[in-house]
Amino acid sequence: MKDMPLSEYRIGCDIGGSFTDFILYEVATGRIETLKVATTPEAPEDGLMQGIDALAARHPGLSEGLKVLIHGTTLVINAILERKGAKTALLTNKGFRDIIETRREIRYDIYDIRQEYPKPIVERDLRLGVAGRMAPDGAEVTPVDPAEVAEVLEDLKLKGIESVSICFLNAYANPAHERQVAAVAAAQGIDLSLSLSSDVLPEIREFERFTTTTLNAYVKPKVDRYLAGVESALAERGHGVPLYLMQSGGGVITAGTARQAPVRLAESGPVGGVLAARNLARLAGHPDAIAFDMGGTTAKTCLIRRGEMPITRAYEVDRVHRFRRGSGTPLAVPTVDLIEIGAGGGSIAHVDDLGRLKVGPESAVADPGPACFGRGGLLPTVTDANLVLGYLDPAEFAAGGITLDRKAAEDAIVREVADKLGLTVLEAAAAILEIVNENMSQAARIYAAENAGDLTRTAMVAFGGGGPLHAMEIARKLKVPKIIVPEAAGVFSALGFLMAEPSYEVARSYPRRLDELDEAALAEVYGDLQAQAGAIIAASAPGAPQRFSLFADLRYIGQGHQLRVPLEDLGRGAIAEAFRTAYLEAYGYVYDDMQVEIVTLRVEAMAETQGPGFTPLPADQAETRRRKVWDQSQGAMVDTRILRFAALAPGAPEVIAGPAILIQPGATIHIGTGAEARRNAAGWLEITTGARA
Amino acid sequence: MTHAFDAIRLQVMWSRLISVADEIATTLERTAFSLIVRDNQDYACALYDARGTMLAQSSQCTPGQAGSTPTVIREMLDTYPAETLEDGDILICNDPWVGAGHAPDVFVATPIFHRGRLAGFACTCAHHADMGGRLGATDAREVYEEGVIIPVSKLWRAGERNDELYRLLARNVRMSEKVLGDISAQIAANRVGAKGIVALMEDFGLEQLEDLATQICDATEGMFRKALSRLPLGEAHSEVFHEITDDKGARLKIAVTLQVREGAVHLDFTGTSAQVAMPINAVLNITRAYSVFPFIATLCPDLPMNAGAFRPVVLSVPEGTVLNPTFPAPGMYRSLLSYFTVEALMGAIYQVAPELAMAPSGTYPLWTEKFSGTGPDGREFLSHYNAQGGQGAFRDRDGNSAVVFPGNIATTSVELFELEAPFRVVSRELRPDTGGAGKFRGGLGQETVMECLNDTPVQVAFSGGRLVEPAMGREGALPGAAGVIQIRDDAPFARSGRGVMEKGDLCRFAQPGGGGFGDPAERDAALIARDLRLGYVTPEGAARDYGVQVEEDGQISRPLAAE
Repeated sequence: MKDMPLSEYRIGCDIGGSFTDFILYEVATGRIETLKVATTPEAPEDGLMQGIDALAARHPGLSEGLKVLIHGTTLVINAILERKGAKTALLTNKGFRDIIETRREIRYDIYDIRQEYPKPIVERDLRLGVAGRMAPDGAEVTPVDPAEVAEVLEDLKLKGIESVSICFLNAYANPAHERQVAAVAAAQGIDLSLSLSSDVLPEIREFERFTTTTLNAYVKPKVDRYLAGVESALAERGHGVPLYLMQSGGGVITAGTARQAPVRLAESGPVGGVLAARNLARLAGHPDAIAFDMGGTTAKTCLIRRGEMPITRAYEVDRVHRFRRGSGTPLAVPTVDLIEIGAGGGSIAHVDDLGRLKVGPESAVADPGPACFGRGGLLPTVTDANLVLGYLDPAEFAAGGITLDRKAAEDAIVREVADKLGLTVLEAAAAILEIVNENMSQAARIYAAENAGDLTRTAMVAFGGGGPLHAMEIARKLKVPKIIVPEAAGVFSALGFLMAEPSYEVARSYPRRLDELDEAALAEVYGDLQAQAGAIIAASAPGAPQRFSLFADLRYIGQGHQLRVPLEDLGRGAIAEAFRTAYLEAYGYVYDDMQVEIVTLRVEAMAETQGPGFTPLPADQAETRRRKVWDQSQGAMVDTRILRFAALAPGAPEVIAGPAILIQPGATIHIGTGAEARRNAAGWLEITTGARA
Repeated sequence: MTHAFDAIRLQVMWSRLISVADEIATTLERTAFSLIVRDNQDYACALYDARGTMLAQSSQCTPGQAGSTPTVIREMLDTYPAETLEDGDILICNDPWVGAGHAPDVFVATPIFHRGRLAGFACTCAHHADMGGRLGATDAREVYEEGVIIPVSKLWRAGERNDELYRLLARNVRMSEKVLGDISAQIAANRVGAKGIVALMEDFGLEQLEDLATQICDATEGMFRKALSRLPLGEAHSEVFHEITDDKGARLKIAVTLQVREGAVHLDFTGTSAQVAMPINAVLNITRAYSVFPFIATLCPDLPMNAGAFRPVVLSVPEGTVLNPTFPAPGMYRSLLSYFTVEALMGAIYQVAPELAMAPSGTYPLWTEKFSGTGPDGREFLSHYNAQGGQGAFRDRDGNSAVVFPGNIATTSVELFELEAPFRVVSRELRPDTGGAGKFRGGLGQETVMECLNDTPVQVAFSGGRLVEPAMGREGALPGAAGVIQIRDDAPFARSGRGVMEKGDLCRFAQPGGGGFGDPAERDAALIARDLRLGYVTPEGAARDYGVQVEEDGQISRPLAAE
């Protein structure tokens, strides 16, 4: 390794349950280095610092050259899932303490009469009501009694409560009562961590706002301690680097902001892949794209439109049934809207009581792993099917230190699937893939219907260990005409982490009819929101140029679902026209005789910073082999060309016609019969699937 | 010609059908205006072959409507035989006897054409915000009072809008913009379904759907029969007396005789009360829905729904009874009665397989409250408020508190309600001591108090039940608490009804608790202590219902068993 004293570095790290992953990006060369250290659950900052120390040891100039440290963490989500947050209480209006327990009353499965729901984050004896009430227009109905509040808070403190979620009805319209509670605590010197619903989620609908605020309260002390620890450890070692945290919505914020709103970090894990996919798709000239990531346990799909990541507020944590919507607790902060299903390489295939072949969501991913890993797994998985059908080659895995046992894979498939269904081993393996690919494409199709997207006009960006292998069949099922596979598809998500820009979204409920809108008042509210978001971003990236995107959640009067519409002009007519355009695009029709109403105003502020780009790696020695690989369209094993990805020169005119397999370290790309692939000058692979809409 | 599909291909096509039905539902929910559709998810979506055989139904749907989906297209085909249908036709119907038993449930069906040939249908049923008629007619004596009835009709003919029908509708319903908007949403959702079906047929090279329909319906039927064979063969008779009385003052009765045969159940409702001149009669489609539901729910909740699911449950419901009324019996508030069909069947299931049955539930009937008048801005308003009681306990677990069952509509957000209606919700909490005490406790009911803020009088129609007769316990358990509907300090309602509220008036809805299961004396002391800590049970309630003393330190003590 050459020593480059002037080098600038960016580091991304992601603390997961078992491992803390690092990616180091050297700005001058575009070189990427990854590192894995064991997570230290009791004090995660220790593992983090071990990793940084190890990187510093390899790169002597790191301390001076380190420009950014971007941190993603499962700390928040794990604290929620494992119920290891702070001792938390909920303070609300008298008479409303059960909002987070009675939920929406609807059952997430109509036929399951023994349904269970997640246990409320705060149990009933710690949910307390006090005097005070606001009207929906923000007028005070009943005042808060400071003496009562002081008494209640003192009592909670005596009970050992660390954190309090303060959730008053209609606080989205007027936060005064919640702030008064905070002021009482400050004035009386009562040392409690407080989360106000009007700060965490100033939006209408009490159940979602209360649960989100309460989750924030629950994780806040832990995140606060942790980030303080990381900051001081970094300072001790002389890394004067800004610490950024990855948010669920895709942007990064400073540790200071994160300590106030830790729930915004809950789902930072999948963000990297989506960010990288968006950037790559933009570069490749596809503002509309579908990101497809498949790992060991799950597959994730995300629809990118007009070059923007989709953001949802309908996110849930702590589901009783992981893949069942409605079985969890709402966490309504901006979150990248993606669909995750239980379909990964480790997903287990079995025949159910009714004779149906099922794949997943149960997974054998780490322990004991697919049957072919020879670690004691006896159940057939998607990876076993891929091996039996020739998509995977033991020789390629051997390089990574894993010995694949084809016989074990066959035995498992025969025992658990083929014999039970009267199929040959090849048919059974093909059936497993057919089911898992169909599951993924169906999930993608419903998700596209929800997001009013047209998949036939997108390009699929496939990454993760299994993404490029399954992309072919899924794209064909979805009639997606083109697949893009990045270089280093296996570490693509980690790379995306480093591409995040500081960004922060603020919102305010502003329910009113468009025809009764006061334009000056609207401009003022947007001005306030811009100032608020801009200040947060200025703290993240001092001096960097800022961009603002204005959005309004709009709908026809009386509708329940609103569209997030980007606004450039704040005039009534322009807003109506922007909504009309968005609605037409989403649903294919508009109502000309209906009035429009505003629900929520949003401002996203972003700072422009320079992240890593995509630098093509040079080609190396060509080497072509052949082996028999399953061809879905013919229903048979056919002679197939096997090439190393790196053997294709960037921009080379050569077209690889399917059937073919391309090998990357950590990923296998399948090019089906009738498809064609070529490597772009910028390094990535473009495959035309031959699918027609 | 019949093709033999191989099992995997069949399975893939089958799951694709369900996913297309879910796509329809998703589109409907995203584009609907009616709060009842979009927030309460009161709808059902289904796909059919060209014969009107139901192939699949959306995963989210209202069980009551789901009972009419298997037959509705066949009824439509009786009016418009297949050969008379054209590409671009759209059919509509809200006839209670064809559809789901009351006018607001409007079915819109789109014939799907593939290569110039009728391939099947996409159909949505949505509960509309209004269908005309007398508002809140909790005392209707005939169906004519309950809104406009559209018999099976063509809403569009070969791509041409039937303007006369649109105008007729617009003139007969309140908030016609919303209602027509929701019909457009149903049409758009059907279009998504039609597209999905055509894509499926092309992907799999299908010329028609009938063979596929036969195979998957037979498969579902087989799965259901296999599940039913877990019930021991035998017979049980169950009767439920409803708190509502007929014209002669006799309590309405649901009587059912269950015969469990090999892979089938026969239900005979002989003995059930004659239909009444009250809006609670439940048409046969609704009775079918709630007759099939308890068996699927207790035995095979994952059963993929299609026409085959309705074959193993053989129904005999005498005509002219409250569970199979004839025209023009009113039925707007059929849920007040029809949910008790589930109670009657749970009672029968209890006799043959007690471990499967839920104790009588405080969630029967459905509670829905309506408020209408002229708001402070001079605009008409019509707002709904839904909140439900507690479920019955099982032999091995407590009932859920405040949950909807067996229907499936979401509750109303207090903040949204206050934004739309000139009312303030004063309080809304679980009601302690309302879950029937038992070894396993019934779910708790809840209570809402609200205050009228309107300057002009507001018409209210309050609908709920178990106001007199609570949900009983099983095997020595106690009943859940009864419900309460009250305006001001007036005498509480004895049954659903109407009223007028003026500024400053309070009203109260207290939904009932579920019945318990097993002797309260056998309840685990730790569970009683938890219920006390969380306030589900008060110290007085614990002493009265469980016979335990609560000490100062919160510990509980139980006197030596008395028996």
